[in-house]
Amino acid sequence: MKRSLRSWLWRVPIDQEFDEEIALHIEMRTRELIAGGMDPAAARAAAIRKMGDVRTLKRECVDLGRKRDREMRVTLWLEELRDDIKFAIRQLSAAPAFTLVATLTLALGIGANSAIFALVDATLLRPLPYPHPDRLVSIWEKSPVNARGFASPPNMLDWNSRSRTFENIAGFTPAVASMVLAKPDGSAETISRQWVTAGIFEVLGVPPIAGRMFSSEDEQKRARVVMFSEGLWESRFNRNPAIVGSEVKLDGELWTVVGVVPKEFEILGKTSMWAMRPFVNMPPRARGAYQLQVVGRMKPGVALQAAQADLAAVAEGLAREYPQFNKDRTVTLEPMHDTMVGSDLKTTSMLFLGVVGFVLLICCANVANLLLARATARTRELAVRSALGAGRLRIVRQLLTESVVLALVGGALGIGVGAFILRVAPTLIPDGLLPGTVTLQFDMRVVGFCAVAALMVGVLFGIAPAWQATSFSSPEVMGSDSRTTTGGGGRMRSLLVVGEVATAVLLLFGAGLLLRTLIAVESFDRGFKAESVLTMMVDPLGSTFPTPEKLQQFFDQVEADTRAIPGVQDVGWSSGLPLGESVFGEYPQTYEVVGDAPVAEGRKPTSSYQVVSPSYFSTLDLAIVAGRGFDARDKRGSPRVAIVNEAFARSLGGRDPIGLQIAVKPADAAPGDKPTILEIVGVAKQVKQRPDESSDFVQLYAPVAQDLVGDIFMLVRSQSGRASALAPSVRAVIERIDRSQTTSVASVTTLEDVEWAATGRHRFRAVMVAAFATLALVLAMVGVFGILAYSVQQRIRDFGVRRALGATSGDVMRLVVGSAIKVIVAGAVIGLVLAAAFGRLIATMLFGVQPLDLATFALVTIVLAITAALSIAGPAWRAARIDPAVALRTK
Amino acid sequence: MPPTPNKTPNALLHGALDALILKTLTRGPSHGYAVARFIEETTGDAFLIEDGSLYPALYRLERKGWVEAEWGTSELGRRAKLYRLTKAGREQLVAEMATWRKFASGVSKVFAT
Repeated sequence: MKRSLRSWLWRVPIDQEFDEEIALHIEMRTRELIAGGMDPAAARAAAIRKMGDVRTLKRECVDLGRKRDREMRVTLWLEELRDDIKFAIRQLSAAPAFTLVATLTLALGIGANSAIFALVDATLLRPLPYPHPDRLVSIWEKSPVNARGFASPPNMLDWNSRSRTFENIAGFTPAVASMVLAKPDGSAETISRQWVTAGIFEVLGVPPIAGRMFSSEDEQKRARVVMFSEGLWESRFNRNPAIVGSEVKLDGELWTVVGVVPKEFEILGKTSMWAMRPFVNMPPRARGAYQLQVVGRMKPGVALQAAQADLAAVAEGLAREYPQFNKDRTVTLEPMHDTMVGSDLKTTSMLFLGVVGFVLLICCANVANLLLARATARTRELAVRSALGAGRLRIVRQLLTESVVLALVGGALGIGVGAFILRVAPTLIPDGLLPGTVTLQFDMRVVGFCAVAALMVGVLFGIAPAWQATSFSSPEVMGSDSRTTTGGGGRMRSLLVVGEVATAVLLLFGAGLLLRTLIAVESFDRGFKAESVLTMMVDPLGSTFPTPEKLQQFFDQVEADTRAIPGVQDVGWSSGLPLGESVFGEYPQTYEVVGDAPVAEGRKPTSSYQVVSPSYFSTLDLAIVAGRGFDARDKRGSPRVAIVNEAFARSLGGRDPIGLQIAVKPADAAPGDKPTILEIVGVAKQVKQRPDESSDFVQLYAPVAQDLVGDIFMLVRSQSGRASALAPSVRAVIERIDRSQTTSVASVTTLEDVEWAATGRHRFRAVMVAAFATLALVLAMVGVFGILAYSVQQRIRDFGVRRALGATSGDVMRLVVGSAIKVIVAGAVIGLVLAAAFGRLIATMLFGVQPLDLATFALVTIVLAITAALSIAGPAWRAARIDPAVALRTK
Repeated sequence: MPPTPNKTPNALLHGALDALILKTLTRGPSHGYAVARFIEETTGDAFLIEDGSLYPALYRLERKGWVEAEWGTSELGRRAKLYRLTKAGREQLVAEMATWRKFASGVSKVFAT
């Protein structure tokens, strides 16, 4: 091939080549004919004749020649690439320290990016796991106060029958509750359950893996039918096909299991089964009960706007027909993917993506710096290659191949780093951040991401050093002593480090804000003591305690016996946990003071509603600041009373709340429903309901005896030590009292763990960003150390001369430190300016701290100063210790 | 490039010129005219070709990588494009000759009956 390569490099244009060839042929033929005795003119004519149609020949040959050249160019290119790669591998293995540092740096950067890519991919990029997910939309009822409200079942049915742009519309209840499954051995188990309408699986396009979906006959017959999740089918029923079509006892009633839903579709809610709620022959007031989250499947080819217009017209008709319920109500449509992902997850993902992107840039800058230093050392080698005839582009290409090979090795290691991060990540990710059962997975998409990232990164950090390295005049370089060639490379390296420091400062600042937010949400006074409180959800089977009196007796008995357990200080009951969940789900109540001027529906203030036992307040150490707590007087049948919290009391316009009568009813009640009248008997201290609530939350407590609920949280405060240690004794008490043993005990945890989970998002963000910022800082300081150590090495002679001329070691040290400080201060200033500009972008994730927080600015500066001092110390010390005599003797 | 066996007689006849050129070049690098002359002499004018048709064949062989071209000097002292047999070309020639012999012996058997 060498010959063909040379002929290609030194080639003449093909048509000229052909002409010359033919001319030679004709001339030689002519000469021969003349030698054979022919007349020269005739000989020439004969030679030309014998040649044939030269024009056609030429076209054919030139065409063939061009094709050959094209093919040859590709072959040649591939051969050069192979040679370059071989050479690159040789070069890299000849400098193992450099290669190790560079590939590890890149592996960290690419690995971190691939893990975050997996998060972004799982949540933002991947479509929903349903067929034609682009045709699925969420449909909300829009009222003057809420653009994304739940829908009432009759409205949903009318949307379905009247719209022209939808194939089918169905709904589900957003909250997941539970049912008690009676097992053949007489024990009971709580299974999470979500209510759905008959058509939901048809809308989503989920084919069951066993059995069938709900049908409209089921709905017409008001059949009790459930579908199991694959997980439940597998864990409890061992994938037994006989269970499909059979009946199970749930909450004391017989339900038919019609089918099993495959795993990948379990994303509506974290639930183990779906029970059908029939909506036939509903009373008129059902139109005012807003309880369903609705999903519709648009017909093929329908745009979201068209569907929106269609349904808005339907809603307008419904508003005219049922003004009592539907006045001023219309619909909001959004892609179902948006509903599932949620804005919190979207912003968190984008934040992480931005942060790891910056980390990768720092990695690139560091490797580029290493390459620049190496390029200086390789100047002679490159000059020789240039003198031997390699063009600048050819050398740049060779150097780029080297950096891409480096990046690809880094990327391959990065795949490992990413896989590791994804292995440990699930323990860091707070519950509820990812929708449904979406899980992070390491798959070919992540590997592909690593490959693409490595290629881009390789070019990114390679191009500048390659260009820099080839800007020389070869005779000058070859003739000179290799160490005297510095110059432009030094400036570029300083600029890279300034950029690194600026980026690290920016990330540190973000991490600082998020950490301060975490501290704020964790240390905020919540108004109660969470330490040493055990909680559990107690759910007695309805048929075992058929009357409220029996149920109340059961709870009283459990409380009395639990108090007798050694180490128990207090026992309370509640429908919800502060910072945790409530058995009611979101259950806001509207309220007004009896006797005040009536307030229009939809304008009434709302309050959260919680039923508690008298001892709830003492168990949580929650103070009653005015009036009294609940006691034995507040029992079933006696006048209904309430305790309000401080925010509620403030809403009453300065009146003494004690003794006021308030009219309360659920916010989603139909307009005709009668409110409940409660008398306020006390005011409780304000409690945080969410760790980052921005305005005080309005709360209403009612005695559990007056509004008994079937499943309730029990709270047990221990005298000392870990509350969780009490769990087995409390369970034993319950089992002893409920002799049928059908009471299920679930969600056994401590209030501290509930708090921990409630602040999970903030912790996740703070920990992740802080970890990446630390990585960025370390990398940036490695960069600072790198250029400093290198420049000291380069200037040994210079420093020696200075010392010889009378400079003290302090002077030399100041010189080194000064140049480092210039770079760091420039980077810090740029970083802080960027931080001030970018701070607002994460304002929605902050709590208790402003985006321009001065303390964070100060903290970042201090952290930077300390780490900078560490990275400067070594090279400065070395410079100061230079012995002039030795330095001057070195070449 | 692996040798491409020509299977049909038609292709055989068509490929005959290629085979002849390859065979010619086994004696060493030659320019187009020398190839033409050698074929004329050795085939005893049995294989009469137009001089022109030689060149597309040479370009085709070059594209296939069976011959390669370089600039040399002709007997007249002028720059001449010389064709040289490559390793792949040599292998192809062996294959062509084998195929040809098989074909020729087949035909001879038919004529011998």
